[in-house]
Amino acid sequence: MKTKSKITIGLVAAALLMVGCVGESVKAAPQKAVTKTVNEESLGLRKTDIYTEDATISDKTEYRSAQATTSSKIQRAFQDAPPMIPHDTTGMLPIKTDDNRCITCHMPEIAGSMGATPIPVSHFTDFRPKGKMVNGKFELPTDVMKNEVAIVQEDKLQNARFNCSACHAPQSQGNLAVENTFEAVYTSKDGANRSNWSGGKLTESLDTVGNESFITKDDIANKNSPAGALGGSTH
Amino acid sequence: MSLSRREFLKSSAAASAAAAIGMSVPAELEAAANQAEGDWRWDKAACRFCGTGCGIMMATKNGKIVAVKGDPAAPVNRGLNCIKGYFNAKIMYGADRLTQPLLRVGADGKFDKKGKFVPVSWQRAYDEMEVHIKKALKHGGPESVAVFASGQYTIMEGYTALKMMKAGFRSNAIDPNARHCMASAVVGFYQTFGVDEPSGCYDDIELTDTIVSWGSNMAEMHPILWSRVTDRKLSNPDRVKVISIQTYTHRTSDLADTEIIFSPNTDGALWNYIAREIVMRDDAEKIIDWDFVKKHMIFAAGPVNIGYGLRREGEKSLKDGKYSAKEMEIVSKEMKTIVSKKEGPALEPYGYKAGDTMNHQAGTLAHWEISYEDYKKSVAPYTLEYTAAIVKGDPDENVEVFKEKLQQLANLYIEKGRKVVSFWTMGMNQHTRGTWVNTLAYNVHFLLNKQANPGDGAFSLTGQPSACGTAREVGTFTHRLPADMMVENPAHRKIAENKWMIPEGTLNAVGVQHIMKIHRDIEDGLVKFAWVNVCNPYQDSASAHHWIKAAREMDNFIVTSDGYPGISAKVSDLILPSAMIYEKWGAYGNAERRTQHWRQQVLPVGDAMSDTWQWVELSKRFTVKDLWGEWAPSGARKEALPSVIEKAKAMGYSENSTMFDILFANKTAKSYQLDQSDAIQKGYDNSEGYGDSRNVVGSDGKVFKGYGFFIQKYLFEEYAAFTRGHGHDLAPFNMYHKVRGLKWPVVDGKETAWRFNAKYDPYAAKATKESGNSHAFYGQIAKALKFGTLSGMDAKTEQKSLANKAKIFARPYMDPPEMPDAAYDTWLCTGRVLEHWHSGTMTMRVPELYRAVPEALCYMHPTDAKNKDLKQGGLCWVESRRGKVKARVETRGRNRPPRGLVFVPWFDEKVFINKVCLDATCPMSKQTDFKKCAVKIYKA
Repeated sequence: MKTKSKITIGLVAAALLMVGCVGESVKAAPQKAVTKTVNEESLGLRKTDIYTEDATISDKTEYRSAQATTSSKIQRAFQDAPPMIPHDTTGMLPIKTDDNRCITCHMPEIAGSMGATPIPVSHFTDFRPKGKMVNGKFELPTDVMKNEVAIVQEDKLQNARFNCSACHAPQSQGNLAVENTFEAVYTSKDGANRSNWSGGKLTESLDTVGNESFITKDDIANKNSPAGALGGSTH
Repeated sequence: MSLSRREFLKSSAAASAAAAIGMSVPAELEAAANQAEGDWRWDKAACRFCGTGCGIMMATKNGKIVAVKGDPAAPVNRGLNCIKGYFNAKIMYGADRLTQPLLRVGADGKFDKKGKFVPVSWQRAYDEMEVHIKKALKHGGPESVAVFASGQYTIMEGYTALKMMKAGFRSNAIDPNARHCMASAVVGFYQTFGVDEPSGCYDDIELTDTIVSWGSNMAEMHPILWSRVTDRKLSNPDRVKVISIQTYTHRTSDLADTEIIFSPNTDGALWNYIAREIVMRDDAEKIIDWDFVKKHMIFAAGPVNIGYGLRREGEKSLKDGKYSAKEMEIVSKEMKTIVSKKEGPALEPYGYKAGDTMNHQAGTLAHWEISYEDYKKSVAPYTLEYTAAIVKGDPDENVEVFKEKLQQLANLYIEKGRKVVSFWTMGMNQHTRGTWVNTLAYNVHFLLNKQANPGDGAFSLTGQPSACGTAREVGTFTHRLPADMMVENPAHRKIAENKWMIPEGTLNAVGVQHIMKIHRDIEDGLVKFAWVNVCNPYQDSASAHHWIKAAREMDNFIVTSDGYPGISAKVSDLILPSAMIYEKWGAYGNAERRTQHWRQQVLPVGDAMSDTWQWVELSKRFTVKDLWGEWAPSGARKEALPSVIEKAKAMGYSENSTMFDILFANKTAKSYQLDQSDAIQKGYDNSEGYGDSRNVVGSDGKVFKGYGFFIQKYLFEEYAAFTRGHGHDLAPFNMYHKVRGLKWPVVDGKETAWRFNAKYDPYAAKATKESGNSHAFYGQIAKALKFGTLSGMDAKTEQKSLANKAKIFARPYMDPPEMPDAAYDTWLCTGRVLEHWHSGTMTMRVPELYRAVPEALCYMHPTDAKNKDLKQGGLCWVESRRGKVKARVETRGRNRPPRGLVFVPWFDEKVFINKVCLDATCPMSKQTDFKKCAVKIYKA
């Protein structure tokens, strides 16, 4: 008996917790929040049954039709997040080696006059230490065991960032499939509109284990790992 | 938290040492900036998504993730992420996160298969699981308890699941979604090298002169690797050539110098054409590096009549008539085909000609050594004429232009001094001859000595974040044990039994329940309990209508653990809320063999707990008596599994010892201490170790207060023990928390860049000490062969050892089982898009990603659309012999197919394309071919 009443209480409490995910029927009748049952159909993104297809249609893509110079910008999702594309991209994609329409408006020297978001400093920064063959053997200029970086700010848009559409995408209008409760926090006043990731910020907090962010002989020896060896077996 | 300039310089000493020209920001500004982020905590982590394995920096504030940026110290991606990588920040915050277990119940509150879901406690959930597992065990022994595992498990989760399944339940019915993704690559590795995982690393990209993408849309599927390719190409555009070999045009072709559109499934013919050029021109041009080949290679062949991995005659569901007449048109090819005109010339060296009947046997891994002369015969048919005729995939392309491209391709590979990297992923893996095509790639590189050298190599890219690290290395496959060991090998079972402190004879030697077999075993009624972990098998398996029907309508119990309710959750009987990636400690291993760890960043939502916890809690419910007695033959296992209870007692266990005590909370495990003075653990949550402030009521009805030891470290270290000293060496746990990942094997604290190459790989160095050879292909699997010809093995020959050698295989072109015809006139290819991950359960809940691509479109050629009376943006039906779905027509998008082919991605629950796809697999690897089947398209 005791167990049973416990379960019932659990059910009610649980049902209260579940309000956010039982779908339309509950949202429409919040006074009946203690709904005990959840329909299969109300779960997930597809609200039609999954056994037939006649009544199921995908969410139509409705990208913004505003032209590049007239569109209003979309706020960045969080500090230094890649901004999404607020304008029509018809005729601008695909990006090819000899044809990148994005940079014709977004290069910093032109962007202001075009009302476009300027490509930030991070895109003009070379982060990749290039390895070389030295006496027939490959060597990197940085030591991965020390988390070394080699960062060089250049005048040139970096080739590694040539594929704009790898990070920036147009946005369809209309309702979301599901809301998202992420809350953006910006550390710079205009963080919703421009990148602040440059200079010393690039290497900030990279030593994630504080003062012990380096490999010791003890680490390599792994002495305190009683499970860490097979003890003589081979395979 | 504001740092002084002196402290700042110290903390990034490495940065300043390495020419940080861009860092001229005054200290005052630094400090001010830091102030603003004063209550942010930055930590490193690995990206949740593809097999590239990028490093991210993740900021949390007040227990919530607030930002993600590319980690400048991560060698893979150096400060850059793709759109999915950045939005790792939001993937855990979809409003419909699962927060409570949900069970289907009837009006009486009892479990009811036809009932609706109600929230239940963890205790009730585990009571139900226990009952249904015991019922399944009674029905068909260990073979009746199955797990849909994952290439997205953390290493610890995969290891926990594997250990409980194989050591506890004695069941090998555990197989990951990685089967759908990498199995052909794996069998290719095993057959060629005798050991899994690629020889090269991503540094190949900066070192090579030629990048050839084989049926892989790297620009969307491995965008950060593609940014490295782009950088390489644009930095030296004249020297560096990019060749895109695809069945339809997409973003990868946009950067290419040359695009080759091939007809689906003919990539093998194209590889053989290149090999033929090498072999036939060798006398005149001295192309083959014979010194390398003679020292390191042998030639091999295997049977060709191996079917297509479909259901075979006599299987229960076929006899029960669960397959329609239309479906049987294709399923029947599993037993018998007529050699087509297209196949005829390719199969002639193997003793078949066009019009012959080919009787197929079930797929086999068998192979034998052949002579070079026989190998030469196998590639002889692939003349430029024949190859161009069967390979050309765009009906509108001029064949002479196409031939020129093929010649150019072969010449780029052959050119002396030109480095070449070949990349592939799903195109070559999801293929009814996927294993073959993988081995054909290595052939070309081997003959030219362009493999396992810096800038040179055939490189299999992985699809999932830990397909290599967890699914493959940990071995969450039906046939595997950790570190390339196999359940069928008695010596391997013994090693695992010793390490796991379980009685000899506990492990089950029969491991054949691969992921499609598990689905089929559910449909046949053998599997009665199945648990879905970190995957979505009811959305991602071809012939989906069979499996969702079997789950819903048959007498079985399906459990899905997930962060969000996807299709698999919907068809389940019990849904469990899982902690997502940054809500737990974890580790992934990527495609370049790089293991990366992260710490728990935030607490899970609601009552969600990690999959590790869920498995460990399950282990508390089962004792020695429950699981280690005798089990009668079942399924493919024809012998009884012996009782090991007496042996267990002799080891000091009792009949009532729980699997928890034996497998997870043993004395060794408990020696891994929780310690807030440890720099790695300091200030970080550990919900499994300590419990947490949510006070989740656990599986025993009491508030979960933690296991009291550092369970994640224990699990990792115990798993790593299998790898160390055996060519898979993982570094100690602590090391990974201090660096941005290390490429295994890690020996004496040093990672390995190029495997098998004596200059870089300590194992190869050791093996070549006496010979002085440049390479040693030291893998151990299938390294003794008999001899034969292309038509078969000579059983009378002696087995010859092939120590330190690799294999060049003779493999012909063959048709897939279903091709377009009059009734179903179009090829269907499925796959992903950049913005969505797999079945979309995470990415469809991130507003920016959802809005970028809210629906799966049917990409097609404008002429096809016009001929079928379809309009851009209008709805069409995509229908196969198995099912149909509706999708909108896209003729101007990023994917641009030739006439006769459509591409429909599979992330969208509302465009359930796997109802249309065919569950044919590579009969050797059992990996499904999602890249081709025949459909008709018409207006909806």
